Amino acid sequence: MADAALQIEHLTSGYGEAMVLRDITLSLQQGEVLAVLGKNGMGKSTLLKTIMGFLPPHGGTIRIHGTPTTGLSPHRLAARSVAYSPQDQAIFQDLSVEENLRLGLRSDRGFAPALDRVAGFFPFLAKRRRQAAGTLSGGEQKMLIMARALLSRPRLMLVDEISEGLQPSVILRMAEVMRSELSGSQLSILLIEQNVQFALSVAQRYAVLTRGEIVDTGLIAQPGVEARIHDHLAV
Amino acid sequence: MSAPMRDAAPARLPSERFRLELGGIGALTLLGLALVAVGPLLLDRYSVNILIRSFLYGSIAVTVDILWGFTGVLSFGQSAFFAIGAYACGLAFSHLDFTPLVAVAALGGGVVVAGLVAALIAWLAFGTGVSPLYISVVTLVLSIVFVQVIYAGGDFTGSSSGLSGFDTFDLSNEAWFRIAGVALVLVTLLGWIFVRSDAGRLLVSIRENEQRCRYFGISTSWVKGALLVVSAVVAALAGYAYAAYTDVVAPDLGDFQFGTMLVIWVALGGRGTLIGPAIIAVLIDFVSAWLSGSLPFVWQLVVGAVFIVVIVIMPQGLGPALAGLVRRLLPRVSRIQPTAARLAEAPTYDIETHMQMGHAPAAVEITGVARSYGSLHVLEDISFTGRRGELVSLVGPNGAGKTTLIRCISDGQERTRGRIAIQGREVGRMPPERCVRLGLGRKFQTPNVFDALTVAESLRVSRSRLERLSPWRRADEIHLPEAAMQVARATGLVAQLGTTVRHLSHGAKQALELAMVLAMEPSVLLLDEPTAGLTKPERTLIGGILVDLVAKHGLCILLIEHDLEFVREISSRIIVLHQGRIVLDGSVEEVVTSELVRTIYTGEPQAIGEPAAAGPGSDG
Amino acid sequence: MTDLLLDILTTAGILFVVAVGLLIVFGVLKIINFAHGGFLTLGGYAALIVTELNWSPWLAAPVALVIGLLLGAAVERLIVRPLYSRPLDAILATWGLSIVVVQLITIGFGRSTQFVLSPVQGAVPLLGTSYSLYRLIMLIVALVLGGLIGVVMQGTRLGLAARAVIMNETLAQSLGINSELVRFATFSVGAGIATVAGALITPLLSIDPLMGLPWLLNAFMLVMVSGTSLISLAAASLVLGGAQVVVSTYSSPVLGALTIVVLAAVLLRIRPAGFARA
Repeated sequence: MADAALQIEHLTSGYGEAMVLRDITLSLQQGEVLAVLGKNGMGKSTLLKTIMGFLPPHGGTIRIHGTPTTGLSPHRLAARSVAYSPQDQAIFQDLSVEENLRLGLRSDRGFAPALDRVAGFFPFLAKRRRQAAGTLSGGEQKMLIMARALLSRPRLMLVDEISEGLQPSVILRMAEVMRSELSGSQLSILLIEQNVQFALSVAQRYAVLTRGEIVDTGLIAQPGVEARIHDHLAV
Repeated sequence: MSAPMRDAAPARLPSERFRLELGGIGALTLLGLALVAVGPLLLDRYSVNILIRSFLYGSIAVTVDILWGFTGVLSFGQSAFFAIGAYACGLAFSHLDFTPLVAVAALGGGVVVAGLVAALIAWLAFGTGVSPLYISVVTLVLSIVFVQVIYAGGDFTGSSSGLSGFDTFDLSNEAWFRIAGVALVLVTLLGWIFVRSDAGRLLVSIRENEQRCRYFGISTSWVKGALLVVSAVVAALAGYAYAAYTDVVAPDLGDFQFGTMLVIWVALGGRGTLIGPAIIAVLIDFVSAWLSGSLPFVWQLVVGAVFIVVIVIMPQGLGPALAGLVRRLLPRVSRIQPTAARLAEAPTYDIETHMQMGHAPAAVEITGVARSYGSLHVLEDISFTGRRGELVSLVGPNGAGKTTLIRCISDGQERTRGRIAIQGREVGRMPPERCVRLGLGRKFQTPNVFDALTVAESLRVSRSRLERLSPWRRADEIHLPEAAMQVARATGLVAQLGTTVRHLSHGAKQALELAMVLAMEPSVLLLDEPTAGLTKPERTLIGGILVDLVAKHGLCILLIEHDLEFVREISSRIIVLHQGRIVLDGSVEEVVTSELVRTIYTGEPQAIGEPAAAGPGSDG
Repeated sequence: MTDLLLDILTTAGILFVVAVGLLIVFGVLKIINFAHGGFLTLGGYAALIVTELNWSPWLAAPVALVIGLLLGAAVERLIVRPLYSRPLDAILATWGLSIVVVQLITIGFGRSTQFVLSPVQGAVPLLGTSYSLYRLIMLIVALVLGGLIGVVMQGTRLGLAARAVIMNETLAQSLGINSELVRFATFSVGAGIATVAGALITPLLSIDPLMGLPWLLNAFMLVMVSGTSLISLAAASLVLGGAQVVVSTYSSPVLGALTIVVLAAVLLRIRPAGFARA
């Protein structure tokens, strides 16, 4: 069996003394989408930051495509075809749309065809490539983030709350794009979400994170999953 | 927090510890005085000459350390204050006859000018909204301006060659040696007593977290300004003595290089140790003078190179590094018992006693408040009233504007539009420290504490508006109101009073900040996720305390919380924010059963209001 | 009047050349390099060596560039890199380095004031007056240097990476940019520009081991009011440098020497963003 795209075992992590994540074990198979759901402040973003090498884990192991990555700096992970879209400050506001996209590739070679490809998903990108990214609307900025992540054809995507603050039509578009990129490729996605419907529409499996621990995990195809997740998240 | 209570060995009381340390420093003081007394008898004439200057420099290094090492105010211009004192002496004796009256007037003049210049610098640098780096920039400019003013003074100031050969005090070198030596010992001793006192801990808390201090109602600008003025006066006195002794003043006494050299001495000796900088300043200046004949430039080179190495590999400086080494060699000597004050109940406070009964105004009244960053509207048209005895929870997803709202209530500079009144008094454009004095207490989202202080010291600083901090003593008791005491007891903080906050768990820091805020005896409490990172029993407990504060003491609490279960248990009312607007304001029952809230939280595709574009980076 | 205008323009050019190395280091590394003055001095002495070896004065700048690049690279590795997370200590450590540089120069060349040969001499007729050719060349150097840095920053992949690091280093890293390498290259180039600037200004002045200090202070204040923008720096050099020329001409050179630092300090108090967009 091929190595998992992402294999996390007994991961403990946090900021300084504060343990935000406790004993997390997760795996993401190649070609799979795993949605990690949970309310604010439950450690979802910390999980991605630890995987990406911004936070040193206090314990446990992380493997990407079979290779341990603990201790690798973020830019080395990016070089291994990992694309990370943070939740906050994920675009360069003062750079143009095109410059933001260029930074999605490690060199300018092959940029033109790649741009054409993602502009196929989000046509506004081609039209407004000279515009400063900070002047795009919130939804357009999220689409830019998604396009930039897809540009390099990564093997693993770590996506933090891409649907936050988006109107329903844009969320549907986003889900469509992700599904079409996934079909027939080796792409795997770790999707951090609060929006249950969106997560369920693209993921095959889910995990619920509550106060730094995984409290539930399962297949999305099971009956009654949605109600079950709502129970975890709702009032 | 719920961690097992650590060693039950009783901690030493602050006053005991203080006396013990005072014994140590007293011995050191006596040693210093003895050396000063016998120095002229043992040393050759040249060394005595040099050391007079070195002692004076040592005194200024001590003031730089109090400003920078303890309070975090990095001044490159301490040299200018020194030179102002020196020129007061040089100018007076050059242009007027030397009489006792002139001598005293010159001294007074030098001190007053230095103090006024320092006050001007403080006004420029410590105003609201001025960058913390500005003090360094403006003191650097001060030193440049000083030198150019002397240049521009022509014959009056002696321009670039300075003034010399004026009549001055008829004192022997031995007498000057003793004056300068005793001054250094005294400045160091007084400085030491001050920084170890309760008020001195306030300096460290300003360095560690000025924002938190301001939200305790402490006027940090005033504290830093007063400190700068006192330091300037001490430097000017040293400068006056320098000029009176050497009979020479020159512009380079006040220049940027000397100002920076003082900073380097402090960094080498160990910031925040007082004695380290004093000793290093004397040592380096003395050796420099000795070597300036034989190895003039090589010596400077060595100082520069050593300085770089120390900064890179021993950021605390040579003093602490040596002390650490000694401690490792003598492992038994150094077991310092933890020190902590006792907690005592403060007289119970009741909002009722603060306020007229009956027609009391609303605790918080918010009318049409908006906050935008450029074209991004984070809050729009927020109006509600929080009454006494109410626990109002603010809920809503990330980016809804909850934290921004809290910020607007506690800092008059924050909002773009609208009015806010606390206990019937308009907030206007008040800075946080004045909002706090209207009866506000704010707990931040992530624990906002003083890492370098102990738990007890932190609590004492938080009470500083209600109980004056002594500048020469450490008190043994901290009086806390019942609620703060409950939090401290229930979360195990009472067993960790002597622990340095840096070593606390995340949860304990959260509890500490809550206890500190409660210690201020606020009437209106703003809490931003007070229980994030706490365990379930701890949350329940804090919930109980909050409910108590509202029910028994009549506080008004505004609470931001993501854990809706927790919110449901303790709130008397819930306000739901979404995309910067209030979408629901009602009882717990109304909100919990609301379809709208469910939709907001789980993001089902029935749109709420207009599908606005929430910008990135805006927090909840 | 024409002379005054030309003085203002050329002074602005000189200030820009002197400050721009400090600016790019500040922009990318977020630290103030107080060794900048020492690097300027070093460039001046590189020009002196070229003069003493009887080489063409045109070689002064290239020789200074090589020295600056190599020294900058070494300093970044040994001193600056360990201090990234302590920007204040970085200021102090680079100031310590500046002391070391000044003392080394003093040991090697003595304290006396010396002069270097200028590659060009004399004045040229311009707009009805006759003006120093070398000062005009400095203005052109400033324009070329500013243009070159602008083109690199705006038009190349390296410049894009540098701008990304300036704006948001974390995000740049997660997009695969080796920000350590960008910092290293930037510091080295910044030091190189500083030594070149030192070599270029020496024909206008005398050189001595402390020549870098007043330039450092002016450059520091210009960078403080310019933030990280080249255009702001050009504007600040023109406005504050212009004020300096006017004060020196109509009042006194002593006050002129204060103009930049005092105006910059006042400006920073009123408008913390200075000439940069708020």
